[in-house]
Amino acid sequence: MRIKIYGARGSVPAPGPHMNRYGGNTSCIQLTLASGQRLILDAGTGIRTLGAAGEAGERIHILLTHLHLDHIQGLMFFAPCFHSEAEITIWGPSSPGASLEARIGRYISAPLSPVEVRELPCSLEFHDAPASEWELGSASVRAEAVTHRGPTLGYRITEGDLTLCYIPDHEPALGAPIEGLAPEWISGYDLARGADLLIHDCQYTDAEYPDHVGWGHSALGDALAFGHRVGARRMLLFHHDPLHSDEFLDRMGDAARARWADLGGDPGAVELAAEGAELNLAAERAAAAAS
Amino acid sequence: MKSAQRPLELILARNLITSITTPAFLVDHRGHLVFYNEAAGALLGRPFEELGHMTPDEWLAQFGPFDERGEPIALDSLPTTHAVRDGRPMHAFFRIRTARSEQMVEASAVPIVASEEGSSGAMIFFWPRGEEGSA
Repeated sequence: MRIKIYGARGSVPAPGPHMNRYGGNTSCIQLTLASGQRLILDAGTGIRTLGAAGEAGERIHILLTHLHLDHIQGLMFFAPCFHSEAEITIWGPSSPGASLEARIGRYISAPLSPVEVRELPCSLEFHDAPASEWELGSASVRAEAVTHRGPTLGYRITEGDLTLCYIPDHEPALGAPIEGLAPEWISGYDLARGADLLIHDCQYTDAEYPDHVGWGHSALGDALAFGHRVGARRMLLFHHDPLHSDEFLDRMGDAARARWADLGGDPGAVELAAEGAELNLAAERAAAAAS
Repeated sequence: MKSAQRPLELILARNLITSITTPAFLVDHRGHLVFYNEAAGALLGRPFEELGHMTPDEWLAQFGPFDERGEPIALDSLPTTHAVRDGRPMHAFFRIRTARSEQMVEASAVPIVASEEGSSGAMIFFWPRGEEGSA
């Protein structure tokens, strides 16, 4: 199981000279399974770069957590959408009001877009994420609703004995401190429990959070408390605020490692996601076992 | 993997009733009492942490409710049951047994429905009343 970050920014793209190291593109991660099958987590603007890499072949599965613009904006610029031989399946949250295709079509349609979904030449399928676990390639995938504004999913992806959990937009501490809650009352608990890698929302500092309660995102302290409660082995803090520069995020990273150590964890097990970063979970586990 | 987690809509409902001063219960899809807030604890004279989760039979035995003649009200006739079983709201007046005495209350049950599979539970809000109410 290998991952590559193509976008770690939240809310809106944030390009600029002070954003180069963590990157300005919005949420997108490529997950490559041992079988070679690729899964794409969210379609923020980072998916444009991913599509330009031009790896053709097997059906492409895109797992959308929700349909806020920073998670779908790159779809219209994803090169395989314009290749007639490409086969793409998009998974996302269900809604009582409209199909996934119709909801995405609100973005890929006039006046916001020069093309309509039906005009895309690729073979395109839309599926509501099932309520129960399903298989994609060699992985088992599970989706569950989590606390955010509007219908929003987190994903738990397991291949062999490795588990990745992806919850990029999440406010589990809304209305109740995580430390005092029983697991049954913590949003996302089952998805993230014991994950080898938890990729989790960390949009705000603790000082910023009081002005953003209910916006659907986590403060650093809450993200770490969540990771600690679920027993995540490693955390990648994600969905960086568009106002946070590289230097600011460096300081958040330092604080995250110190506070993770205060919680009893290995400070090296927490880092901030950076565009272009790659992780090979299987290789890292093998190396750890060998040492 | 055995699920340890309540449905999100129940988690959000719990967070809501934790944050308000109107006495409120939260029941799951079976009608089991899974939480009540601090205001309900003050009304009942016992905090939720002391009693914990209760089946319908257990909370009937603990709190009643009763009609104006002091007769127990059948489970099927309660707002909670309508909300959970039928997915419909209901408002009623009845007496409940608290740690101190009996208390006339006005209650509204609001179903929590998040999918076509039916109710995930219900929130029940209580307003203490004088003796003018009727069952």
